Amino acid sequence: MDWHQLWEIASAPDNVPIVGMIPLLFFYIYLAWKQAKANDELIGELETNPAMAKTHHRKTWPFRPGWQKEVHVWPFLLRIEFLAAIIVTIVLMIWSITLYAPLEEPANPNLTMNPAKAPWYFLGLQEMLVYFDPWIAGVVMPTLIIIGLMVIPYIDTNPLGSGYYTWKQRKFAIGTFMFGFIVLWVAMIIIGTFIRGPGWQWFWPGQTWDHNRLIYEVNRDLPDLFGITSNLAKGIFGAIVVGGYFAAGGFLVHAFFRRYNPKDYKRMSLLQYSIMQFFLLTMVALPIKMALRLALHIKYVWITPWFNV
Amino acid sequence: MAEQPIPEQDPVVTKSYALHYVVAMVILMASLFWALWDEAFGQRPWKTFQNEWKQRYTAFLKTAESKSEKSQKDVTQTPEYRQLEQAFNQASEAARSRRDELQKGIADLSAKILAVQNVFTDKRAFANAINYEIETETSASGKKSKQKDLDDYKKEQWTVEYPDGHKEKYNFQQLEEKYNELKDERTKLNAELGEVLKPVTAASTLMSAYINEHMVDLTPAQIEGLKKKTSEWDPKIVQINVAEANIVDRCESCHMGIREPLKLTAASMTAKGEKKPDEYADAFVSHPEPALLKTHDPDKFGCSPCHQGNGRATTSVEKAHGNYEHWLWPLFPKRNAEAGCQTCHSADMVLVSGDVGWTISEAKDLFRQKGCMGCHRYEGYDKEPEDLNTVSQQIKQSEGQKKDNIKEAADLMKQADAAESNEDANRLNDKAIALKVSNSKLDGRIQQLDFQSHSLMQDMKKVGPNLKDIRLKLNKNWIPVWLKKPTDFRPTTKMPNFRLTDHQIQAISAYLWQSAFTDAPPKQKPGNAAHGKELFETRGCLACHSIGQGDQMMGGVFAANLTREGEKANYDYLVRWIHNARQRTRPYCPYEKRDLGPEDYAKKGLPYQFDLEHSQCPNDGHELQVQNMTVMPSLRLSVEDAQDIASFLMTQKRQEPSAYADASFMDDPKLKDEGKKWVRHYGCAGCHEISGMEDEGRIGTELTYEGSKPIERLDFALFTVPAERGTQEPITDPEDLARLPEGPAKGPWYDHKGFFEHKLAEPNVYDKGKIKSETETLRMPNLHLNKEQIQALTTFLLGSEESSLPDSYQYKPGDSRGDIQRGWWIVKKYNCMGCHQFIPGQKTILMGLPQYRENPEQLPPKLLTEGARVDPEWLRRFLSNPALSEADTNRNGVRPYLKVRMPTFSFSDNELRALVRFFQALSQQPIPYIPEQVPVLTAKETDMARSLFSSTAAPCLKCHATGDPQHDKIATAPNFLLAKERLKPDWAERWVLDPQAISPGTSMPSGLFRRENNQWVFAGPTPPSFQGYTKDHSRLLVDYIFRLTPEEQRRVAASRGRTGASNVTPSIQKQAAVAAGGGGSR
Repeated sequence: MDWHQLWEIASAPDNVPIVGMIPLLFFYIYLAWKQAKANDELIGELETNPAMAKTHHRKTWPFRPGWQKEVHVWPFLLRIEFLAAIIVTIVLMIWSITLYAPLEEPANPNLTMNPAKAPWYFLGLQEMLVYFDPWIAGVVMPTLIIIGLMVIPYIDTNPLGSGYYTWKQRKFAIGTFMFGFIVLWVAMIIIGTFIRGPGWQWFWPGQTWDHNRLIYEVNRDLPDLFGITSNLAKGIFGAIVVGGYFAAGGFLVHAFFRRYNPKDYKRMSLLQYSIMQFFLLTMVALPIKMALRLALHIKYVWITPWFNV
Repeated sequence: MAEQPIPEQDPVVTKSYALHYVVAMVILMASLFWALWDEAFGQRPWKTFQNEWKQRYTAFLKTAESKSEKSQKDVTQTPEYRQLEQAFNQASEAARSRRDELQKGIADLSAKILAVQNVFTDKRAFANAINYEIETETSASGKKSKQKDLDDYKKEQWTVEYPDGHKEKYNFQQLEEKYNELKDERTKLNAELGEVLKPVTAASTLMSAYINEHMVDLTPAQIEGLKKKTSEWDPKIVQINVAEANIVDRCESCHMGIREPLKLTAASMTAKGEKKPDEYADAFVSHPEPALLKTHDPDKFGCSPCHQGNGRATTSVEKAHGNYEHWLWPLFPKRNAEAGCQTCHSADMVLVSGDVGWTISEAKDLFRQKGCMGCHRYEGYDKEPEDLNTVSQQIKQSEGQKKDNIKEAADLMKQADAAESNEDANRLNDKAIALKVSNSKLDGRIQQLDFQSHSLMQDMKKVGPNLKDIRLKLNKNWIPVWLKKPTDFRPTTKMPNFRLTDHQIQAISAYLWQSAFTDAPPKQKPGNAAHGKELFETRGCLACHSIGQGDQMMGGVFAANLTREGEKANYDYLVRWIHNARQRTRPYCPYEKRDLGPEDYAKKGLPYQFDLEHSQCPNDGHELQVQNMTVMPSLRLSVEDAQDIASFLMTQKRQEPSAYADASFMDDPKLKDEGKKWVRHYGCAGCHEISGMEDEGRIGTELTYEGSKPIERLDFALFTVPAERGTQEPITDPEDLARLPEGPAKGPWYDHKGFFEHKLAEPNVYDKGKIKSETETLRMPNLHLNKEQIQALTTFLLGSEESSLPDSYQYKPGDSRGDIQRGWWIVKKYNCMGCHQFIPGQKTILMGLPQYRENPEQLPPKLLTEGARVDPEWLRRFLSNPALSEADTNRNGVRPYLKVRMPTFSFSDNELRALVRFFQALSQQPIPYIPEQVPVLTAKETDMARSLFSSTAAPCLKCHATGDPQHDKIATAPNFLLAKERLKPDWAERWVLDPQAISPGTSMPSGLFRRENNQWVFAGPTPPSFQGYTKDHSRLLVDYIFRLTPEEQRRVAASRGRTGASNVTPSIQKQAAVAAGGGGSR
């Protein structure tokens, strides 16, 4: 275990936000989960005993005479927000005194730094470049992510769960978010920060980042495994595989969604439903492709003269 | 939440956050103050430095001041100063009454002027404003009305109240006149005051000048000034900003004492009560080389161009010194500080300051002498092959151009014949003629280029011997033993250890043996070894070569140690080598790329003769390499003497040559090809001339800008991480470990310095732990350097940087200083400094030898002022043939009495030109030299001069050679007949007046003449004819010597008789002894 190396990575001013992000992420998930659990219990009680709704307000506390039905934002909310603002100011001030901007030497066009890393918030995108060709990872995927985020309000037909934490009422939405944001986005940032060393090679935490390290890693394209040589055949083969994935995946998702989420399914139009299917399958394709690459050394599945998937 | 008890009061409304707020605010305020402190001090550590500086420097100045006061007191006690003081008092007494009057008058006038001025400037401002309005008014009527306003205004009357209370009224014009009148009056009074005070100020100036002249250190007044400056100092960034070179250096914000006029040491800057100097004391010292700052004014050069570091950074010592990961030019370590010189002075072999003992100068010598440029290109080193390449390309180009021209001319003529009109025909003909003329120009150019290549061919030298000659030269069985580890045979050799395997050794020696010349050298008669030893020790061989090993070693390290020469050498070849090392076995034609033999000459019916006069290829007319590419000169010995020396050297052995194991594998033809591969692989041809590899390129990386190579490009291999973390010293071999200048690594060494030092100490260190094939291993051989040498070379490499400074900062002078640079290259190339002293204080190798300690007059002449001394045209002739004679060459031309021989270096025309210009430039002599006319003496003057020259009181003829063989045996100075051509008359006169000033330690006596009534008079008893002679006796003597003819010399010698020569007047002899002792060069 090379603690020196680990400390060097963790203490680099560039990486401090990421190191800080990890506990914060767990903390806020825990907090949200705790509140969601309490709310879900209350929802359960209210559903069985509608009379309770008259004696309970503010979700958690039972009603008491003399309590105000509603409290004002000022001062009751703002005083807490202001306290939070002070604490954040303290953190920022101490941070700026103790850690300097990570400036480096003037850029040298003849010498590329190794590893050359994007700013931390783009490390996820950079990690995607390992699995897809630049056009897909750099242009298509980011565009789809943005469009997908924009589309959410239009395909989300579930009226419940706004304004309070709940798991029971929004299992699908929250599950998808947890998967897409925490497993895919945050995990890829952590991989990019802690795992990727010189030559963008995979170093487990605690392994020394040796610039001279050589590893045997030959990636093959999926059509090659099947002995397909002509470009046309490769294109057709890839299209069939990718199409097959979307078709099979679509049926699988359809089966589960209808079974476990029948209310939403009923509320959604065909257009909403198929858009949801497309984005969900595209998102799930990313970890599948990662697994294919990391475990089976498969470079591309679909090869065309214009793009590779 | 049924389980939770429900509070009485609504917690959202009633919960108090007061404590939270108190705690948060306290922390916020604390961090605010922390931020303020950080802003004022944390980020500005130089403030603390400056405050410390104020305290410590003031304390230092106080002690310095009391010392200075004491010495000033001593000065003011002297009668001279008293006299000056008295004069001052008298002058001020005399001037006092008038001075007081004038000062009072001036004060009165000033008050009056002020009173008038107050009113006048106010009115004038108003008038000017109206004036402006008139000027810019467009309508004529408006102009008129405003003009009227102005005129009215100027007629108004205003009151001026004078200081004494009385008032007066003036209009505008009167006011102006009054004002000017008062001012004129005051100027007059001021001028008079100056006149009155003149003697007083003059006297006071004399007083302070006297103090300044007679005090060694600063005067109390000066120190008082420094104290005042220090106490009034407000902490601020001290910055040198040179916009043209993009230099912003804030180093002096902490290093406050660096330019102070007093010498500050760390000890003197240590705070009271402290024992050891702390970081402040170390920072406050003065610059250790103030002389360097004089030539490199910090206001123009800043600090970082020489020292590097981050001149702009002020937040911490590490940042400012650039000692952090992302600053690419960290401060040069103290031990390698001279690396900074190299960044601008890479073209200088000897830095201009001329001081001896500079690490960087030693490093340059080392780099050259060890033959580093055989494998590594370095801009400026070993440039002859590159120049030669350029020249031969130009020749080819010109020849091609000529051919094209001929073709085109013929074409044009044809067109002219077929032209339609006469005009066209003439035009085309003219063009053809022009082409023919340009061809004749090209012919001239080609000839010049041929001369160039002749010179360059002569200048081209190799560090190692010519291996084409090994069959003639060497004991065959010795070769594999040598290759195994050269230092085992000869510890001081330049030949490095290549770590060859036995098989590689066999293959390499087989290739070298089989590709060498098979001609046999002429047989030589055995010589007299005892006489040879004497010659070896006296002819000057030891200036370059050494003999004896360990403590017994004697002589120079420029060339090989000859202690075991007898084991390896072939006697016949050795004789030829000593007689003339440049003599080649066969000439080499670079055009055909092969060595020519007698058959090539026979084909053309030419005699098989090749030397500098016969240097053209019989086959294609190109310049041949007709010399061995060695710097070893010819000592112009007779063949017998060469045989004697060779016989002596053959006795130098520890074992018999026959004791070496048989190496008959060297004749195995199967090994030859493999051997060639290894010879090429290891770049042997970088230092040696090897058959078939005359045009081999260098195998190493270029080092010109090695210091600025990104650290990522330096391959630490498996030691990258250990070097970064300082966890492991890779060198384990104790011999190599001992080479590290600072011992085994104690901390991180992942920097250029660490890389170079380890690489030089053990060149294959970065192969350690790697699995590599024979051809992949690092090839750099172990140069068996010592600590000092590695430190010097590291300094050299660290300074080998691509400078960010503008070209004007690089020292590449085009004037005579450039001549000096080029000259040093040649002087160092041939090791001239082994025999001659060029710089005062420089030690020559011969000076250190025991045989010269007793009789220093046998040392070769010092060349301190050679350029001022000799006629450059004569110098050129002398350098090309130091015997100064075509027939009688086995002697010294100027100083036949010296046993040590000025060798014939067979300099090329280029080198002769450069050397002559070098000597001229070194003595600041103008080029070209126009000789001074020596006047013709009258018969009477000649008689006088002769009588002086030959008088027993003047010892000239005792030491100087006269051409009489019997006398010349004991002569210790050159013949006067040479003076006319050789010397410059003005120098000769300076020489006879004070030779010690020109060449300290010379045996030429000083004090031959003394100054009497503005005239140089001979110091001994003058002959009677000198009565009433008013010109300088010294000048007369010099003129006489410059007009001396052989007949005259014979006549004088005859008239004197030999016996008289040694009978010198005792008084002069004594003077001579005093002068020689006073010179103190020994």
